Formats: sequence, C-alpha cells, structure tokens
Amino acid sequence: MLLFTLAISMIFIVSPLSAAEEVTAIRGGDLYTITGGIIKNGTILIKDGKISGIGQNIEIPEKAKVIDASGKVVMPGLVAVGAELGIIGYPNITKIADSLDPFDFSVSLALASGITTAMVSTGRPSGSSPIGGATAVIKASYGDLDQMLVKESVVQPVMISNRDWLRKTTFKQNLRKAQSYLRKLAAYQQAGDKKKAEEPKKPDGLDAYIRLLRREVPAVVAASTTGDILAALEFVDEFGIRMILTGAIEAWIVAEEIARRDVRVVITPRQKQRPNEDISGPSGSTLENAAILKKAGVKFAIIPPSTYFGTGGIAGRDMMALPMEAAFAVSGGLDEQTALESITMTAAEIIGVSDRVGSLQVGKDADIIILDGHPFHHKTFVETTLINGTVLYEKSKSIYFSHITNDE
Amino acid sequence: MRNIRHYILLCILTGGLSIGAAAEEIIAIKADRIDTVTSGVIENGIIVIADGKIKAIGNDIEIPEAAEIIDVPDKTIFPGLVNPSSRIGLSQPATGGPGSNPHYRVVDELYPHQDQYKRILGAGFTTIGLLPGDRGSVMYYPGYGYYFGGRSPSTGITGQGAIVRPTGLNPEEMIVSDSGFVMIHFQANDKVKNVIKSALDSAKSKMSSTDPKVQPLVSALQGKVPTFVLCNSPGEILHLLKLLEPYNKMKLVLVAGNETYRVTKELIKKKIPVILPAQIEFESNTRTRINVPRMLDEAEVKIALRPEFDNVAGHEDFLRKISELVKSGLNREIAKKAITIHPAEMLAIDYRLGSLDVGKDANLLILSGDPLDVGTKIEKVMIEGKIVHEAP
Repeated sequence: MLLFTLAISMIFIVSPLSAAEEVTAIRGGDLYTITGGIIKNGTILIKDGKISGIGQNIEIPEKAKVIDASGKVVMPGLVAVGAELGIIGYPNITKIADSLDPFDFSVSLALASGITTAMVSTGRPSGSSPIGGATAVIKASYGDLDQMLVKESVVQPVMISNRDWLRKTTFKQNLRKAQSYLRKLAAYQQAGDKKKAEEPKKPDGLDAYIRLLRREVPAVVAASTTGDILAALEFVDEFGIRMILTGAIEAWIVAEEIARRDVRVVITPRQKQRPNEDISGPSGSTLENAAILKKAGVKFAIIPPSTYFGTGGIAGRDMMALPMEAAFAVSGGLDEQTALESITMTAAEIIGVSDRVGSLQVGKDADIIILDGHPFHHKTFVETTLINGTVLYEKSKSIYFSHITNDE
Repeated sequence: MRNIRHYILLCILTGGLSIGAAAEEIIAIKADRIDTVTSGVIENGIIVIADGKIKAIGNDIEIPEAAEIIDVPDKTIFPGLVNPSSRIGLSQPATGGPGSNPHYRVVDELYPHQDQYKRILGAGFTTIGLLPGDRGSVMYYPGYGYYFGGRSPSTGITGQGAIVRPTGLNPEEMIVSDSGFVMIHFQANDKVKNVIKSALDSAKSKMSSTDPKVQPLVSALQGKVPTFVLCNSPGEILHLLKLLEPYNKMKLVLVAGNETYRVTKELIKKKIPVILPAQIEFESNTRTRINVPRMLDEAEVKIALRPEFDNVAGHEDFLRKISELVKSGLNREIAKKAITIHPAEMLAIDYRLGSLDVGKDANLLILSGDPLDVGTKIEKVMIEGKIVHEAP
C-alpha cells in the first residue's frame, strides 16, 4: 500500500517537472508590470508556472510556446479583495478548502473579467458574537481543484459598529480576556527555569482574538461613517491589532488618522452617500475619496458595488467591471498607477498574498492577462487569461464575448 | 420489524414448497424479435422459462410438451427496465445531518400498496433500486417524488438501499435484496467529509464487527456491496474522489447531475460508473443543448439512466426520453444497456437480472415493436415468469 502510494505520488511529482521544461513566452505587448513601470514591446518568459524572465531584450528559447501580444496590454491578473465565487457545499462550510468548486460558473466569469485571485468568505457572526466566518484567497483556476487554494484564514471578519453595541462590547471584552491570557503566558514563559506557577490555561473560544492580538491576521471591519471608522481605530490604539476597513465611504475625512495607524482600506469610489445634516463638520461621499487617501499615504484596494459575477443584473456594477471601478477613482483625481495598484499589487498586499501575485516580476506566479486596450478604457476586453502559466481563457473561444468586436 | 422477521422465516419455510409448485410451470414465448441486450437480437426466437428463470433462449429450441405457449409472432421481447436510483412510493427523505446511519435500511420504509408501483410496472420497470433517506420519514409527500438536487435530503451516510420489484402485496414480495448497497449523500464541506471519513475509518479498524452500525460499511469497504454516492456537481465529485482515495476497494457508483461530463477524465481513471437523468440538458448558463449520457459514453464512462423526474409521469415518459437521447446521438445499443444491464451491474444484481440470458430471472416486456420506437406499446410485463401487467 505504502509503495503504491509512493508510486502514485512519484507520478504526480514527475509530471510538473516534465512540464517545467516547457517555456511559454508572451511577446510584443506593453507590459504593465505595476512594480516596475511599463515596458514597451516587452517579453515575459514563463517556466514552471512562474515568471522566469521579463524585459525588452529577452531571448525566447527555441522550443518555447509563444503567445503573440503585439499591440496589446499585458498585466498581472487582477486581484479582488472580496468576491463571491468558487464555493460549493453549503450550508456546512467552516473550512473553505474543503468546499472549493473549480467548475463554478463564476470562476469562468472571473477569468473572462481578468480576475485571477480573489478573497472569498463564508458565514456571518451569530448571536452576540462579532466574529465572522471563514476566509480564503483562491485563484480562478477553472477545472483545477489543486491549484485553487492560495491561502486560508487570511483575515478575520469582525462585525462591530456603533449601532451594534452588543457585538462591539463583546469584541472589546473578549479582546481584553485574550490580552490578559497572553500577558500571563508571556510572564510564565519569561520565568524560564524558575517555573513554579502553573502554565496559564488558554481560555475557550478566544482563538480568533488571540490571532488578532498576535497580529497574525488583520481584522476586517465594515465602517462607512466617520464615527464607525474612528470607533474601529480605537481598537487599533488599545490592542495594537491590524485592521482593514471596508466600505469606507467617509474615509477621506479621517484619512490622516487612518494613515497614522497603518490601517488598510477597501473602497468603492462610485458609492454615494449624502452628507449628514445633523452633524457638524464634513460628511458624505466624494469621488475624490481615493485621491485623498493616496495623498495621506493610506493603502487601499478597490472593489465594485456588487461582489458577485453575473451576465445579468445592471451591467458594470458587479465584479466583471473591476477595472471600471478603479477608473472612477481616476476620475476623482487619483493617478492611474495607484488606481492599477488598487486592483493588483495593493489588493494582494491587503489580503496577504503579494509574495505570489499582483505584479509582473520574476519569481511570481504567472497569473497574467492580455488586454486589447488600456485597462481603464470602457471598450477594453480581456483577450487571454493565464493562471500559473496555463491559458485558461481566450475571448475568441468564449460563448459570451467572442462575437463582440471593436469597430473602429 | 418483528413482523418482517416472521415473514422472512415464513418465506424460508414455505420457499421449498413454492419452488416445487412453480417447477410445474413451464412457459415458452415465441416472438418476432428477442432483444437480449447482452447477446444481440434473435429473430423469430423462443424463450423457455421454468421456475421463473430463463431456461433456454434462441431459434432452434425444443419446446417442452408441458409448456404453456405464449405465441406473439409480431411482438418484440425486451428485458424489464431497471431504475437504479429512486425513491418512488416512499416519503420525502428527512433533511438535516450530516450523520452516519449505515444501519438504517430503506426497506423498513416500504409501503407496497400503492398505485404508483402498479403504474411504473405498466411503464416497463421490473426492478427498482430504492435509496435510503435518513432515520425514517418525517413528512409524507407522496405526490412530489424525489427530485435530485431540488430539495436537500440529509447528508452523510444515509443507510442501506434496497432492490425491489414494483409488485406484491407485502414487503417480502417486493424485496429482491434488502441491503443491496450503501448510500452516501455527499456535500463538499468539512463536516460531511469528517462524518464519512471517521465512519469509514472506524469500520476499517473493526473489519470483523457485526455491529449493525459498522457491518454495512465493512461490506462497502471490501467492495462486497456497491456504494452509491449522490453527488451533483462536478466540483463535488473531485472532492469526493479525493476523500475516498484511501478506500480503494469500494465499488463506487455516482448518482450524478448533468455537469458530470466536466470530470470524465477522473471518472475513467477510477472506472466509476454514473447514473444520469435521461434528459437532454442545457449546458449550464447557456442555451446550448447537450446530450450528457452521450458525452459520457463517448468518453467511455459506463452509464445507467434514470427517469428525470422520480414520479409516475417520469417513469411513464422514460422510454420516450431514451429515444430522444438516441435521436441526438447516444449509441442505440448503449442506450438499451443503460436502462437494463448497466443499472443491474451497478446494483450488483446482474447475475440474476438485467438481460435475457439463460439462468437469469424471466423479467421481460412484450412490446408491440422496438423499445425505442415512440409508437411502441408495452403489452405485457413479466416478472420471474409471471405476467404481472397486461395493457388494457
């Protein structure tokens, strides 16, 4: 049996190696590297699912499979910090890795939209608990279950707001309990050889809080108003936890406060909210939110109003128009480079996977999209999508988009 | 339960007698065509039946003098249809779970006095594989049937399936096998996976156990009985195959949905047969029609077909649906096998039914023409040598 297993695993080990000999080259495109500017008429070499070379004077090996991208834009696959795709097995999901669905329709639409990496989450807090469900970063590797999971439990969703005082109080109390446990534990460990006291017992049900206090994961807090944002920031001050604010419509008002605490933000630039006439000082939404955050030095990612993929609904409001959402930020004064980063590199950083995706750099996963125009142009389509060096989407073969041509 | 035991005892005691009596009954059917399914078509053939079994079949067969002759010179003989996965006549399965209840037997749910059984008999079905739900039924919805995927029955190991004939006045007359297969209702999440895995692992460590909660799983692990797995989406099939990888002797049968063609490679690699609804489908999220049974067959996956809707109308429409599948490219011979011998093989009952071969039960249909011709009428239905249905 053991031998048999070994033999099987050998087969699996050998096959990627033989594939490693194969080199894919993307030639002739303008490479939007994100981290290293735009390389005109450049070449990318892909080996073993990773980017092995990038530049203008790259020699393409003879046996390489060549993808011609002349006149096209080549950029890293887009990263969505929150999306609904790739999960089956409802309703008993607690571990997303056990419920990934590589055949989900949304996964194929993600490829068509140029989104190669996304954070998915499941479950909501129940009762008075502020702690949300499971999260994972996945790739839209259609049909391939083994390549789908990038990382599990990347963030900790937390539901606290000024209106939800019970959850907020529970959150604070539990953080304090966990903090006191961690202090006792540290004191016990510091005591070293002179251990006389008993090792402090880990309190039940506080694992999530301990992870937050140890800064292993950031807390994700939905906070749209200045009040909610400042209240959330208090937790950063008191407990030193890492934090991501989502739906931060009024973040522009307290941009400096957010920047000072190195808190990350997720925004939807087109989202509108009227000023609150009952409060003094500024309030409400502004198209300049992103630009102001950038000026203050806040790192932010951008997502559209709806986090699902669909061919129905109101066009342009869902995940299939992710670059358009970033373009809204550009119309509010944000520079294009930062806008691109907000749907690639910065987004990857926020969900903790920037070591693997988010830019065109040697050593990174070959998650690459080829576009027929500038990413922020409304007529631009994704022509080809690669994940780990494999072409998983071609517009010319898509039953949804192949018939749409640009008549100019 | 005690009643059932008594019945079984009674059957064993009287079994010898009844067989003795049946031995007198020899039937010979002379027909225009006999479609054996497994060994071709015999023109102007004869079937000799004794003791409810097929004694001889062919062209030049001597008909015993004592034989009662059914002379149907313009009719076609076809094996009785086998529906391998159904809950017809049973209540709606319980919802909830996940749980491991291999001791639960669907035969304890049987409710023989139902018009539904008479009517599906008239539709040509002589064998039904009944799927277990959970610990008995909680609600009674006889009219709705059980649509796979529509409602969600309980998950995990849901019990032992049974093989029955849709005829008879008490459970014993219906039952062909009361513990024909073990049923798993799979869902790709850690809770369901853990329930299945820990039940199988614990059975693996107690292979000689006679505990009713363990023994069925031991048989399943050894491949002595098939394991049916309800698993609708292709993604879930990938999870399932990974989960069951260590238990490589299990004889898996997938009760699957219309997107199964996306994982044909994996199914061929593990030689897993699939039960599919007999229906032309839309490719998901498109208006493209696809013939999934054809796609799977062409990829060399063994298929059995079941009525799309698990109610009387679904069964009555079944042969017409099969004709449609054949019309749009499903191999005709495979289509015939997929409603007779293939489901019998999946139920591991092919040694006694599923085709017209010597030694097998005389479960057959006397048809006015080819079984896949939509104008064909089912005139008589025979189960184990007895005419159990005659068309009015």
